[in-house]
Amino acid sequence: MANIVQVLVDAIALGSLYALVGLAIGLVFGVMRLVNFAQADYITIGAYALVVPTASVTPPLLLGALPTAVMIGGVLLVVVVLALLTERVAFRPLRNSNPSTLLISSFAVSYFLQNLVMLIHTGRPKSVGIGQSLANAVEIGGVRVPGVQLLTMGVTAGLLVALVLFLKKTPLGIQMRAAAENFQMARLLGMPANRVIALAFAISGLLGGAVSLLLTIQTGTLDLRMGLMPVVYGFFATVIGGMGSLPGAALGGFLVGVASVLLQTYLPADLRPFRDAGVFTLVILILLVRPQGLIVTSAAKERV
Amino acid sequence: MSRPSKRSGSKERLEARGVAVAFGGIRALSGVDLELRRGEVLGLIGPNGAGKTTMVNVLSGFQRPTSGSIRLDGIDVSRLTARKIAQAGIGRSFQAARLFRMMTVEQNLSVAAIGSGLSRRKARERALDILDWMGLARKADHRCDSLSYGDERRVSIARALALQPSFALLDEPASGMNDAECEALMEVIAELPARFGCGVLLIEHNMKVIMGVCQRIHVLDGGQSLAEGSPRDIQMNPAVRRAYLGEKAADSTLAI
Amino acid sequence: MKSKTMPSFAAIGRFWLPVLALVVPLALIVTVTGQFGGLSLQRTVIEMLISIVIVVGLYVFVGNSGVISFGHATFVAIAAYASAWQTCCEMLKPITMAGLPPFLRDQSIPLLPSAIVSVLLAAAAAFLTGLVIMRLTGLAASISTLAVLFILNVVYSNWDSVTMGSASIVGLPTYVTAWLALACAVLAIVIAYLYQISAFGLAIRATREDEVAAAASGISLYWSRLIAFTLSGFMVGLGGVLLAHYLGTVSINNFFLSFTFLALAMLIVGGMGSLAGAVVGVVVITAMVDIFRRLEGGISIGGEQWSLPAGTQELIIAAFMLLILVFRKDGIMAGREIGLPEQAQREKGLING
Repeated sequence: MANIVQVLVDAIALGSLYALVGLAIGLVFGVMRLVNFAQADYITIGAYALVVPTASVTPPLLLGALPTAVMIGGVLLVVVVLALLTERVAFRPLRNSNPSTLLISSFAVSYFLQNLVMLIHTGRPKSVGIGQSLANAVEIGGVRVPGVQLLTMGVTAGLLVALVLFLKKTPLGIQMRAAAENFQMARLLGMPANRVIALAFAISGLLGGAVSLLLTIQTGTLDLRMGLMPVVYGFFATVIGGMGSLPGAALGGFLVGVASVLLQTYLPADLRPFRDAGVFTLVILILLVRPQGLIVTSAAKERV
Repeated sequence: MSRPSKRSGSKERLEARGVAVAFGGIRALSGVDLELRRGEVLGLIGPNGAGKTTMVNVLSGFQRPTSGSIRLDGIDVSRLTARKIAQAGIGRSFQAARLFRMMTVEQNLSVAAIGSGLSRRKARERALDILDWMGLARKADHRCDSLSYGDERRVSIARALALQPSFALLDEPASGMNDAECEALMEVIAELPARFGCGVLLIEHNMKVIMGVCQRIHVLDGGQSLAEGSPRDIQMNPAVRRAYLGEKAADSTLAI
Repeated sequence: MKSKTMPSFAAIGRFWLPVLALVVPLALIVTVTGQFGGLSLQRTVIEMLISIVIVVGLYVFVGNSGVISFGHATFVAIAAYASAWQTCCEMLKPITMAGLPPFLRDQSIPLLPSAIVSVLLAAAAAFLTGLVIMRLTGLAASISTLAVLFILNVVYSNWDSVTMGSASIVGLPTYVTAWLALACAVLAIVIAYLYQISAFGLAIRATREDEVAAAASGISLYWSRLIAFTLSGFMVGLGGVLLAHYLGTVSINNFFLSFTFLALAMLIVGGMGSLAGAVVGVVVITAMVDIFRRLEGGISIGGEQWSLPAGTQELIIAAFMLLILVFRKDGIMAGREIGLPEQAQREKGLING
């Protein structure tokens, strides 16, 4: 019994993490029709900002050495600035391009950033001890839950609530939703396009920073590719959730995370390394059955 | 060189039966019955927002009716995709022309000919044939992004014809044209049934063109059928005048 | 009523000009570097020619459909591994790749049939994947091709008994010479050209311009994309076989993200709208990579050893690609083939045909 609860907790925790990533991607996609590969690097760079750039596999801490609140603030700041920078330099000039151009440009930005990190930090995975106290398990109702899982779920819930409030109650948030539904119309109605898009990127950076911290606490390692898998999962989340739908992106991320953990637990041991392939195949199958995604928005259909 | 081409198995009747289309709370069309026969030119008119383009979208398969059906020679085609309907013999032009801009005029037509099953070579033959008839032969190898506005619209019609359809649905072909261009367009449309053996549904705001080429006219207003009859009947119809010109003008003639 | 007389030389020339304009310079490059170039330059030329096969194959789908594919490395890898399974290391296979079926594990298959089988396998894989993926809209399809890339990477990296996991399979017969690579590049260019001017090519290019108008013209988005994707898989599969038998080794991590990025960069920089764009992009990026490889390796300036830090190459290429996207978004060739100026004028409507 306890085992199933354990698995469920893991599933919800990972699902939450991927929901955050899905949201970040969905938000930027909503305002710009851009599938942002660079989100992976927002996560990676946020994490690497915790350490001093060296070739060592146990690097001295940089932001990681600061008191917790400052450290968190610092990482979030770094990622938000990075996101805004990429928006300003790489994506704004391409704003009205067709989706293929946008897609390929975000791939290029991501490749650039990935190699930049490699140049500065070298490619070997590094170990980082952050928030080690959280690795300890907390006893809840007879089940031992690692503190970091609780933290992940709590942070995700908190961020989700904050985001929903923002999108529903604040003027900029409402404009962002309007832009996601119909960008041209929103612009004609006086939406400050630059500000809304920049804000979308900033929020995606914030979410990315949160994911960096949670991942680093959870795994204790820094890896060049650490942002890649969550973001790839995030793309699929957005696609199966329904492109242009924020609840869909979060839902998709959640489902993909849960599926991943369930497969990891219940697959026979020799098939476990193929878990990711299994999830991706599931994604493609879902798309086959429901090509427009789980939650359909008007963003999907073209007017004739 | 030009003769009415009768496709084997080409269709005789295109009907809309009780077609209704609702988008959320908006009823774009409510219970519209329409019939188009081969060899005739039927006009579809109505004030803005009457549902004319929605009707064309339903007939050509781009919009599924919420209720009612589209029948081709009695066979229900409402569930077919737009592409299958095109292959079944219903061609259409678009209000916004929607040409393949990077391709030449001949290539644009050839695409439709290929869509109807021809090989590349035969498609080019058919394309040049049609262009020749429409007086566009000189522009055959011009890229569409270099065309004048009037030529663009003509190519759009020509492309629909290159499908060799049983029915051609033309969505506001005359919009933005000057008088001379309208005259030329009217000649082309009037000749379509004889030349191509097809039926034509013509959506237009330009009353001169409508009255000039249509044998029958169907009037829509607010998504519903208002009237149907000969051009003269429609001109005289008070309900039609009211819909277009408001209460005061109900007694004056519909000036053309 | 088409005339049965032979088309004139001029007509044949005009027809094949876009192809000849690409093939002749390539042949010249091979001849000149074969005579005067050093070994390293010759190797670069062979790599360039193999890249042309792959990128032209990629272009056949991406350029004609307008849909970006991140998954083509999958088919390159499938063909490369298939060729390795058939032709490599007869002595070692029963040990290192014990999971292979007996007819592969216990013997070697002659080079030509094995190459053909490998390429057909890649094409079949592309067809099957396409059956599923082409049902999706452009963006979802692109993301799904990414999924396919990852699926193959995960599977091949972990299927130790058959692929040796993430280790390299070494010892493949290396029979690819510059002339063989050139012949394959010419073949790829000819196939791509004939396809794009055929009825199938025209149909899919129409879907790229305007999906709605194409549907109204009776063109099936699904079938036209599926055909392009399959042909494309065939061609990159050929590239995979060439790559395997040029390097002599096969390793799954050589067919993952860096490979995908480089292939797409070559296509985008040259211009994904035309065949000439694909070829020009390969030449330009190959030259850049070669220059940076040498700079990273170290050169002497005024008696001092000086080298770029490793990894600069990737940064510069990514930055270059972004610059092209911003300032010349249709690439160097801007979606045009190499043709006669007269033809271009006619298309612009400046003279009448």
